[in-house]
Amino acid sequence: MAQAGKGKLNYRCPSCFMRDLDIDMFYDKDKKEYYCIRCQYTGSEEDVLKKNEMARFRYRAMSKRITNFD
Amino acid sequence: MDKFVVNIIHRPEMVPEYAEKVTGHGKEEDIGRKALLTESLDIFKTQQAIAHKNGLRTTIQMTYASLFNEEAIALAKEDHEKYGDEIALSLLGLPCKEFREKYKTKDFCIWMFSMEDKKSIVNDVFEKFHDAFGFYPESTGSYYMDAELVNYIKETYPTVKCAVATCWEEGPKAYHTCNNSWYTFMDGGPWAPWIPSKQNVHAPAADESEDSGIVAIPHLSRDLLACYDGNGSNFGTHPQNVLRGMIYDTETWEFPYLYNLIDQYRSLEKYNNGYAYNMVFVGPGWMNKMGRWEAPYELLLKSYEDGMAYYGQLKKEGKLDDMTMAEFADYYREKKTYTEPECALWKDILYGSDKQLFWFCDPFMRVCVNMDQGGAIVDLRPYAAKLNWPVGIGTKHVTDASYPFLIQEKYRAGYFTHYAGEGTVRSAKLTYKGEEVDLCLCRTKAKFVQEGNVRSLVLDPVEIEFEDLTLKLQTVISFEEGSSDIKIERKIQEMSDPNAEVEINEYMVACYGTTEYAEDMTNVKLHITNGSEERNIDYAYKCREEALKGAKSVSAVIPEIETKVSLCAQKEDAAGYMKEGYAFSPMFTLGYTTKLKDKEAFATWLKLEKAN
Repeated sequence: MAQAGKGKLNYRCPSCFMRDLDIDMFYDKDKKEYYCIRCQYTGSEEDVLKKNEMARFRYRAMSKRITNFD
Repeated sequence: MDKFVVNIIHRPEMVPEYAEKVTGHGKEEDIGRKALLTESLDIFKTQQAIAHKNGLRTTIQMTYASLFNEEAIALAKEDHEKYGDEIALSLLGLPCKEFREKYKTKDFCIWMFSMEDKKSIVNDVFEKFHDAFGFYPESTGSYYMDAELVNYIKETYPTVKCAVATCWEEGPKAYHTCNNSWYTFMDGGPWAPWIPSKQNVHAPAADESEDSGIVAIPHLSRDLLACYDGNGSNFGTHPQNVLRGMIYDTETWEFPYLYNLIDQYRSLEKYNNGYAYNMVFVGPGWMNKMGRWEAPYELLLKSYEDGMAYYGQLKKEGKLDDMTMAEFADYYREKKTYTEPECALWKDILYGSDKQLFWFCDPFMRVCVNMDQGGAIVDLRPYAAKLNWPVGIGTKHVTDASYPFLIQEKYRAGYFTHYAGEGTVRSAKLTYKGEEVDLCLCRTKAKFVQEGNVRSLVLDPVEIEFEDLTLKLQTVISFEEGSSDIKIERKIQEMSDPNAEVEINEYMVACYGTTEYAEDMTNVKLHITNGSEERNIDYAYKCREEALKGAKSVSAVIPEIETKVSLCAQKEDAAGYMKEGYAFSPMFTLGYTTKLKDKEAFATWLKLEKAN
């Protein structure tokens, strides 16, 4: 098995992102999966994108345009 | 007249932070790669073009590396002539072949070099700048500028009047976010421009004798709620911060949060005599053609274009003044006095929680009041001490530039602790017939009121329910300009039983430090006096307590941060007390207790002083 590298984008680990940790994942081309070198997350690109959407759960006002700050 | 000022800063960084690490993955390190240099300059050109397209002027901060590049120098001169951009000098972007060969190090943060190297680098960079442009710059900056560095620059190059001097709350949180690889800490500073003191850059000057001679601006304007709790690099007026935080719609690539953030900053003019400020400073590494993390280049570009378009639109509507850094320094000097505080009543614009914080910063303190915890003080930095805290190689603080706290609810708990012990917070408890309620559990909101030189935070009254008594209590927190005191007054507005009497315990749990980990408390000295009697506790982790009726003050002296903090009370029959902590809970507590009836009020003052 050859060494891992970067994927087409530098996806961060969604599991670590949710604990405020930015860590690039590496890509295992044999298994066609991204994996985190720090925690136990592994997943396809599709799964990473899905989990990134999940990470946005805390931004309840993310899509809201706010104009009143009183 | 209301004024919202923006400083837009670009730097031609020939070896952008991140770019070599990211685009160069799998290659041997080569910071002189031609492709890297060409791309860096292209990004700088793109950023400049976007700002100009939107009618905005910029401050071009030349980097050391760019001073070796004829094209970068020519571009700066051209944009200065054509658009009125300021040509300034950054102390970021030091890494390049020439720097590495000369200084034989991979260090790149100016504040972390030895003082000898700082001087040598400053001389080198400023003289190189002079060779290229024929004058010395008026503005400079880095992510942090320590007082010794600023003093040296001002003494040697007096033309300098403005500098980017800190990244707000980039301390342990930034370190953790970067997988414990970002060895530089700078919590505890102002979030908006200030005049730094000669003794400590984070602490504003109280008068001319303390004035370092420059106006400092923060690196970016950050969300005062989100950055306090989370990653400082996700929630700022760096359009790509918002992408880093994933605060955008992946389908539409829209990010209203950025505009909400800019607009909330605009709204702060209400608390600052009609003035508000924004800073944008995006290094070229963040507009890398390879994309950055999940964001492809097209999204990075769009975020910058959209962000600049919004500032441009505000300018066209007459709601924004784009200034260069040097222009801003002149404006700020004219507008602000030394003792005028910076205030921000800030609300959550991202999480939908409706939480509200109040930030206050002046030459004597930086304070955060949390309305979601009944107006508790959850962060307190004693600037009154003007702590001299040299940083860099050869000092006691090689990497830690943070101004120490007395209270920090995230690093030393706040109201809530696990199992045992107490967290740092300044709050009050009410007791009645064996029941106790802490105001930290009374969620409320506040209004800002300014009367003469007193700025007050008037909290909406909260209701407190005991088993057979309910009462309504209001808190007012006042800051008198030029004073190092915080007055906190609680008034009982209503009681279900008008004859009842409740006990109020005004308390402050504190310690000192800059990180999450406990410091040695052995030198802390607690003191209480009522004029005729006094008690002392020399901290030894023995969990001792002392109290005196009619106490004039209760205080703690913390030699390590040259700070004395004390409480005093308005009522003469109030009892002052102090508590030593213990090994599992290395804190100290200062407080006052008294009885209150319906319509009665109780005021206490928290005072900060320098302790030599």
